Amino acid sequence: MNWTLLDRCCEKCTHSPEKPCPDYIECRLSGPLCHDDERCREMRRQRLEELRYGEKGAKIKVPMASCTLATGAEAVYHAVEDAVKNMGLEATITISGCHGLDFIDPWLELSAKGMPTAIYANVKPSDVPRILEEYFVKRDVSRAFALKERVGAASGEDKVPLLGELGFWAKQYKWVSRNCGVVNPESLEEYVASGGYRGLSRAFKLGPEATIEEILKSGLRGRGGAGFPTGMKWRITRQQKATPKYVIANADEGDPGAFMNRLLAESDPFRIIEGLTIAGYAIGANQGYIFVRAEKPLMAKRLQKAVEEARRCGLLGKNILGSGFDFDIEVILSAGAFVCGEETAMIAAIEGKRAWPRQRPPYPAEKGLWGKPTAINNVETLAHAATIMAEGAEKFAAIGTEKTKGTKMFCVTGAVKRVGAYEVPIGTSIRVLVEELAGGAPEGVKVKAVQIGGPSGGCIPANLLDLPLDYETLQGAGAIMGSGGIVVIGHENCMVDVAKFFLTFTSAESCGKCIPCRVGLRVMWSILDKITKGEGTEEDLQVLRQVAETVRSASLCALGGTAPNPVLSTLRYFMDEYAAHIREKLCPALVCSALIKYRIDEEKCIACGQCAMNCPASAISKIESGKYRIDESLCIKCGVCYTVCPVKAVYKVTGARAG
Amino acid sequence: MISVVKVKIDGKVVEVEPGTTVLEAAEKAGIEIPRLCVVPGLYEGSSCRLCLVKTPAGRLFPSCNYRVYRDEEFLASTPDLWEMRRVNFELLLKFHRIECWACERKSSCSLVELSKELLVDGIPVCSECPLPPNECLLLKGELCLGMIAQSGCNAECLVSGGECWGCRGPITREDILERAFTHYRELGFDVKEVIGKAEIYWNSAPGFATVKKVAERVAGRG
Repeated sequence: MNWTLLDRCCEKCTHSPEKPCPDYIECRLSGPLCHDDERCREMRRQRLEELRYGEKGAKIKVPMASCTLATGAEAVYHAVEDAVKNMGLEATITISGCHGLDFIDPWLELSAKGMPTAIYANVKPSDVPRILEEYFVKRDVSRAFALKERVGAASGEDKVPLLGELGFWAKQYKWVSRNCGVVNPESLEEYVASGGYRGLSRAFKLGPEATIEEILKSGLRGRGGAGFPTGMKWRITRQQKATPKYVIANADEGDPGAFMNRLLAESDPFRIIEGLTIAGYAIGANQGYIFVRAEKPLMAKRLQKAVEEARRCGLLGKNILGSGFDFDIEVILSAGAFVCGEETAMIAAIEGKRAWPRQRPPYPAEKGLWGKPTAINNVETLAHAATIMAEGAEKFAAIGTEKTKGTKMFCVTGAVKRVGAYEVPIGTSIRVLVEELAGGAPEGVKVKAVQIGGPSGGCIPANLLDLPLDYETLQGAGAIMGSGGIVVIGHENCMVDVAKFFLTFTSAESCGKCIPCRVGLRVMWSILDKITKGEGTEEDLQVLRQVAETVRSASLCALGGTAPNPVLSTLRYFMDEYAAHIREKLCPALVCSALIKYRIDEEKCIACGQCAMNCPASAISKIESGKYRIDESLCIKCGVCYTVCPVKAVYKVTGARAG
Repeated sequence: MISVVKVKIDGKVVEVEPGTTVLEAAEKAGIEIPRLCVVPGLYEGSSCRLCLVKTPAGRLFPSCNYRVYRDEEFLASTPDLWEMRRVNFELLLKFHRIECWACERKSSCSLVELSKELLVDGIPVCSECPLPPNECLLLKGELCLGMIAQSGCNAECLVSGGECWGCRGPITREDILERAFTHYRELGFDVKEVIGKAEIYWNSAPGFATVKKVAERVAGRG
């Protein structure tokens, strides 16, 4: 194996796992520090260039994260391997995480000495030989999606935009996700080369108290949803007299539509490990846990691998970097219940008990895992902490709003052109995120509302899109920041149905420990179900509101406390839709199947018979004119005819017109 | 170490040892806080959420496991707390299989007690019946409406030796009615006869239509 940045450069280096050097991390990039040798310096320079362009001067990067794998990245990887072999290319093939730009998946990044680094979007395995030939042989980048820089050496450079100039990239502030899609998530060397572990070594130089002070100064607040100041949490945990203490990274991301934690852990796992180590050092814990959702296996695998790699290189274990601080991490798989993301339920799960939340106080900072002081932080918070320690608190505090500093990753899904994870300064308006970064609604669709904060969040109507994204504003508007999932809801969705959808999720995920959440959510769900069937009454609405308020205030944990949000926020902003379902027995968005009927427009019908052929209930038959008609007594309202009709002759009616 | 802390509940101040729960302090102050699930030392999981109390700042805590370590003030009887308890208790009853005539716990049932305290309707007169199970009037062939009539009267008619006429109105929950009418039939009563007796008081009662609907359904089972 060749020399890597993590190895000793020569005999004069005193670093060894038994006797680690405190300057080890700093020495990797700007070393050697303890001796002066031009050859050692040159080795580092050369290795850094190798990391950039590969050992052979050409590099092909294939993203391997759940999102890209789902769109076929593995097949692309094999196609690249074959093409490189067939063409006899001298190129290194490597993997990376994901940029968070899901609409370009799977992508391919090509780089070579003297050439601009080019990104190719939506690559199919069959495209690979052509792309490689264009780039490496013809030195033509005209068909690339974006370039990372222009060097004026390849043809077609002017025709391709620079990544940094593209709106959805330029408007982001890549702070915590800076390495996502850039480094190889399985290589500690690349993480260190990108500036990793500088935060930890700085924390060791500052000492635990000053580390907490630095985090406090940065103004970092928990990114898991509640927004508690991280420095404060660490300080309270540090002040506890009981020992041992524990730190836990909450990687139990379960909200539908949220994938920022997965993205971070799959693309840059070492940042999380570094953040957790810093947290452990700051509060005085020697054992850390990462609690990962078992349904995200690649995330768990990457974190596990990163822990092993860090341990191998002495960045976990005894006397880390000669600081005298011992720390190790265990990765724990959750059993997959949504409630496990609640900190007290998570503690119970790690202890091997049933994942039931318990009443706070006592808070985990006082009595947490095994009854000992425990700091639980979201993985994004920990990654932020590592970055803050490396870059300095001032830089972080300069971004964001008066009350909340820094950046936050948001996942935008639903009715938008560019689904993806975007990192923006806190306080950015929802409109910028949805319209400028995610590209707004697709053609023919109008944004009706945005659901922020997952199933526990609220629906904010389109006319409030200019609200800034920060904890207090969102709470005031009836939503929550949550983990940062944003589902954009188009005009073709019924808001009562949307509220019912989220309640289906939360009522199924309720752990059943307390009455308001266990029963209240079920009762609310059945009322919504009644309303969507056109059987709701005015009294039902009153009961719905009353139960929702009780569930919100009386529930034991945050799952129940926030689960009524979709109902309360839709009642607040979309009362007209509820009223239409109840008073006029119609569904304005033409969604609720009990209130709509399908018809065929005989003018438009081209008598192709597609509808009749696909109808599972045989409810469509030919009439005398040769056109087709739906027999309403047989129709089961599955909507197949509506989908398959090539000329959109099938339409939906509701209310009086459905008669 | 502080040896005593002052807890103020609804304006009453009591001195307790640090680490005492608010519920214990309230008991000492003579303030009754409803609760169902707590068994001190065995279960303190705060599941029922009926014993919630409020701080003056408006934060809610279950009094059964919130321990006081410094002087603190709580409100235990505000109208909004009682309203929340009532809604919460109604939720609990919603999925409770109410079958008081066959229940062994009816004489010591916290649900019955709480339903009176919280003014929640929907529990049949059987829950208050003074007769032991083997002396139930229905067993003797006397048509008593206790199973389908709203409680709250302390079963005065039964206490004074008569049967229940349902003067407080009918139960309206279909599952309870269904079980009740099934039981009437098992004991050999004609459902029509039961409805005939009920008509005397309930002819214009709001829930009577539901009662008749369920009765017909049960009778139609052949």
